[in-house]
Amino acid sequence: MNADFMNSAEPRALIVEDEILIAEELKERLSRLGFSVIAAVDTADEGIAIATREHPDLVVLDIRLKGEKDGIQAAREIREQVDVPIVYLTAHSDRLTVERAKATEYDGFILKPFQRRELQTTIEVAMQRRAIRARQKE
Amino acid sequence: MFCYLRRPALVWTHVTADSLIGLAYLAISVTLGYLVYKARRDIPFHWIFLAFGLFIIACGGTHFMEVVTIWRPVYVLSAAVKLFTALASLMTAVVLPFNVPTILALAQRAKASEQVTATLRASEERKEALLREVHHRVKNNLAVICSLFYLQSMHTRDEENVQMFRDMENRVHSMALVHERLYGSENLARIDFAEYAQALAKDILSSHGSPGPPVQLKSDLEPIIMGADLAVPCGLILNELISNAFKHGFPDSVGGEIRLTLRSGTDWKCSLVVEDSGVGIPDDLDVNRSKSLGLRLVRSLTQQIRGSFDLVKIDSRTSARLVFTVNNHER
Repeated sequence: MNADFMNSAEPRALIVEDEILIAEELKERLSRLGFSVIAAVDTADEGIAIATREHPDLVVLDIRLKGEKDGIQAAREIREQVDVPIVYLTAHSDRLTVERAKATEYDGFILKPFQRRELQTTIEVAMQRRAIRARQKE
Repeated sequence: MFCYLRRPALVWTHVTADSLIGLAYLAISVTLGYLVYKARRDIPFHWIFLAFGLFIIACGGTHFMEVVTIWRPVYVLSAAVKLFTALASLMTAVVLPFNVPTILALAQRAKASEQVTATLRASEERKEALLREVHHRVKNNLAVICSLFYLQSMHTRDEENVQMFRDMENRVHSMALVHERLYGSENLARIDFAEYAQALAKDILSSHGSPGPPVQLKSDLEPIIMGADLAVPCGLILNELISNAFKHGFPDSVGGEIRLTLRSGTDWKCSLVVEDSGVGIPDDLDVNRSKSLGLRLVRSLTQQIRGSFDLVKIDSRTSARLVFTVNNHER
């Protein structure tokens, strides 16, 4: 990855995924794409707390999560406070959830299982969208 | 005119009122009669309704007689009708109290059966939610196994080992996808294999995603609805066929296409064909003797679903064809 959002240090990513081994795989894949993963947590509340405190460069959110809040709610709360690229994780057939998620602000969807190229392009697009938003605000 | 003080207003009020009452009673008994006739099998002790109808008709009769006797002195007939009414009323009045407990019990039973229906519906909904949850968990656990294979594959440098883990990951994924489709499906027991095949093919191709010229996927799939017991082995076979086409058909990263066809014919027979435009199978390849795990799995699974399988070479195209039967009740 050599896009312009990677100008100084490694971009920092936060993973919110309730299946810890799937989070491990994602960690591995993200670090291969040049990210440093600051945390992998499994509840929406922890995700919101870390995202708003640490301002990561990317948040990867599973839609189904442990606890009362799901990923869609978490995305909404994170976006209210900080502008970070949010990428949802979901399965093919969860159409209802996908429709619900599409109604919120997000920058990309990653389908499980992760396919290397898809993961990379989705994340690149997500980060570029964030960069464009930031430029427009200036 | 004989009575009512010979005042026309009073006479006509009586005539109108008596006629209307008589007509209404007649209408009520006709309705009762119709009800008993229509629902004679469903209404218990319908003879009570008949007695009630008779009693009402008799009451109507007395009112009609009131009208008639204003002009004609048929007092004997009038008395007879009244006596008949008295008997019918008496009979109904005596019989009805004895049936009160039965009627109450009936009402209670009706209420209870309503509750039973509601409970059944609720338990049906719970069962569905549970089944959905089970499919989701099975899918999740299989996805975790895929992650484990991936993580393990990161700890070997040997390309052959990496490929082995990737093959295992794809096999488990083809099973996970059945459960994912199941919990997204309406009846939670069957899936459309065409939709499944499309998704699986896309996933396999992107898992083999090499930087070379792309292999295009062309598909022509007829919807075929099948249960999980058939979809899992069919999915595993399809996974092997597509992976084989990809690995052996395009070894030098040359581009090409993989064509996927699913057809349903007569007698619930279906055919699934995977054809590639690659380099073609070696002439000495014997499908039934091949030691490759992929082909061995295809052979065993074909046997499991009582199907047949052949692999033919047409020019440089390789065509793998699976024919199997979808049970009637599963369609």
